[in-house]
Amino acid sequence: MIRRLVVLLLLVGGAVLLEPLRVPTEGVIAPRSLFLFGILLLTADTFGALAHDLKLPRLVGYLVAGLVLGPSVARIVPAGVLEDLAMMKRLAVGLIGLLAGAELRMRDLRDRHRTIGLILSLQTIAVLGVLLGTTLLAASWMPFLSGLSPGPLFFVALLFASVLTINSPMVTLAMLTETRASGPLAKTTLGVVLVADVLIILLFTGAFSLARGSLTGTMAGASSAMTRLLLEVVGSIAAGVFVGAVVSVYLRLVRRELVLFAVLVVFATAAAAQALHFELLLSLLVAGFLVENVAPVRAEPLVQALHQTAVPVFVIFFAMAGAELHLQDFAAVWPLVLLIALARMGAIRGSATLAAHLARAEPAVVRYGWTGLVSQAGVALGLAAIVADRLPRVGLAMQAVTVGVIAFNESVGPILFRRGLERAGEVAPG
Amino acid sequence: MQTTLAALAVIAVGYILAYLVFNRLRDRFGYVGGAEYVIIGFLLGPRVTGLLGAAQVQDLTPIVSLAVGWLGMLLGTYFRVPSMALIPAAHLRAAFTEAFSTFGFALFVLIVLFRIVGSGWPDTMVQAVSLASVATLSSPAAVDVLSRRADGSPLFPILQLTARIDALVAVAGFGLILAIYHQGQVAPSVRPPTATEWAVINLAIGLACGILFHLFLGPPSQLKEAEGSSRLFVALAGAIVIASGASYYLNLSPIFTNLILGFILANTGGAHGDVTGLLRATERPVYLALLVFAGAAWSPGSRELLFIAPLFVLVRLAARVVGGWIAGRRLEALRSPRLGRALLAQGGLAVALAINYTQVHPELNSDLVLTATLVSVLLFEIVAAREAVTLVGRTAVEPAAK
Repeated sequence: MIRRLVVLLLLVGGAVLLEPLRVPTEGVIAPRSLFLFGILLLTADTFGALAHDLKLPRLVGYLVAGLVLGPSVARIVPAGVLEDLAMMKRLAVGLIGLLAGAELRMRDLRDRHRTIGLILSLQTIAVLGVLLGTTLLAASWMPFLSGLSPGPLFFVALLFASVLTINSPMVTLAMLTETRASGPLAKTTLGVVLVADVLIILLFTGAFSLARGSLTGTMAGASSAMTRLLLEVVGSIAAGVFVGAVVSVYLRLVRRELVLFAVLVVFATAAAAQALHFELLLSLLVAGFLVENVAPVRAEPLVQALHQTAVPVFVIFFAMAGAELHLQDFAAVWPLVLLIALARMGAIRGSATLAAHLARAEPAVVRYGWTGLVSQAGVALGLAAIVADRLPRVGLAMQAVTVGVIAFNESVGPILFRRGLERAGEVAPG
Repeated sequence: MQTTLAALAVIAVGYILAYLVFNRLRDRFGYVGGAEYVIIGFLLGPRVTGLLGAAQVQDLTPIVSLAVGWLGMLLGTYFRVPSMALIPAAHLRAAFTEAFSTFGFALFVLIVLFRIVGSGWPDTMVQAVSLASVATLSSPAAVDVLSRRADGSPLFPILQLTARIDALVAVAGFGLILAIYHQGQVAPSVRPPTATEWAVINLAIGLACGILFHLFLGPPSQLKEAEGSSRLFVALAGAIVIASGASYYLNLSPIFTNLILGFILANTGGAHGDVTGLLRATERPVYLALLVFAGAAWSPGSRELLFIAPLFVLVRLAARVVGGWIAGRRLEALRSPRLGRALLAQGGLAVALAINYTQVHPELNSDLVLTATLVSVLLFEIVAAREAVTLVGRTAVEPAAK
């Protein structure tokens, strides 16, 4: 491990030596970004191995590597480089979405619909309720609620709670890939997280529209915002159906070079998502789900091909996510962040345990079902960014707290989930 | 919205149609190429749907540089000293003769052609050497595919060696010309390096990266402990992107840098088997990804290119025939003057060189170099497999009959 770290330091030192020989290169990404992307990959891999040795999930190592190299700590990878590499992250999100959708099997959903439905419902109600209550009680300390009258204050607090209700398909899938877990806990968590991804985006849409309407004072604004966001959701699902059909035709007619095909599909969908304003992750989740469960083709070769890409994709995604965490923002509001994060965790634990108990789920799901629902990552960050972009008056201040809570959940969640899977006896040996 | 949906429909339908056409070619003529991937890249690119515009192509540079470097590194791993030491001197002589004759012939003709159209000496040299490198390349992977059908043929080991030496000469020639006619300015406080110094810098980056990644990968036991090929893939990808980034940083050839890196990893420590295995297993998707990018970047600006590209194909064919004839005559045991016929396939390295050229010299007829390379790669792939099998089959019979 020390040898690897020394090599990484030597590489960075070597780059400094080359600095005076620098020449402008046209037509390609800044070579510095390319070089630093390589450093980020190797550092993440090294920290992932270190985390594994410490009995922690590898993705925690990837996150820490990104955090250490990123703008918050060592500043070796500045924000501009992360912007240069944004497409890589979008590709990673898309591939994870496609894989996650294909991993969600109708048979598992049917078998566990009662457990999944109850956990999902109670978790959503409990987290929304607890976070709304906590936020309103601590309203005078919340920077984004200051100066708001009671109506807007309530709806903005509801919006804040809805952003923090969402789970993380990325973390769930990364953990299941790393541990190769496939028991009741793994299947239930995957089902809850993926179905929640669709439902909570709808919930967020409603909360966002109400908050916007109350802030602007016109219900016309609220209804147009809701219509627009609903169209985005419907558009994402429609795009997913289209992409799923294309993938099915390919699997039936061609069935070759599946990794390359998957990358091209994700790329084309990402480009279309930007142009047509739909959500990349949701559309590819739907596409993967349809290919696996509805299309009259065998999706197994595609799933295997996507699994081959999973480790590099997770390294890229989580290392970049770590680099994008802003510790400074967290430092300024850490008491609030801790309060909200702990309240959320408590609500998830209580509601998931109760729901699993009511559904007469397996003991492992009753005891550890909550551990897989704490994590948050890309989708929650994306929703926070939407609020900051479209409601800048409250959104920017809200983003500082939200990102802090997400960072906490992103770091603690995978550790909890791994422990849960281990104690449930679902982690594959070796 | 309608435009984007139409674009997606064009791509989906275009790809399926292209696939069906080339699948028939595959069935009827044994075609092994990936022309449909160039077509899908072209359909995605700015010329048709614009989904893969200039900005998006730039965003995907990490993948392109990874693919370009990946093929350079793979080439480096073919030169394992313990295996090379077992090769008969006559085979080495023949392989180098073939490579240098092909390169020399192609270079001479191309220099004459560029001078005829009035190009200045520096521009002529850069373009002619780059295209001569592309012409000299023959695909080691394509020759390896022959092994199944060439069992027992005395020509097969020579072909295998010659394809590798061809690729080595081509990549070294291309790397050298980028160093000699170096693009760009250095910091004012530094004396601009001479051509030799740039060449040494390029070599030094490859050596330094090779040594550092040898240390990074560690002993083979550590690799076994790791999660197999996925983590090795991440480590190799990181190494290649770093080496490529350093080369791009200085406007040098990342393919050459990664060739040195691959050579060192193949010859040091116990990890060479895993590294080589992974690189070879992923060569085909990397090649096809490069074809997609080449298709997207392909922007034939004028109709003249459609005439110039076939001319380059003829130059390459002639160079292969001449090079093969000269080398074949040196092989006393075989006397196979048609050696060049078995080395027609170019493979991914040719596309990688052309893409690298367009990145470093975008202003110097990059459309011409890319068009000529793509046309050449795709056309020769149609006939390469059949020609190689015919020649190898014939040579397997002839010596026995004699």
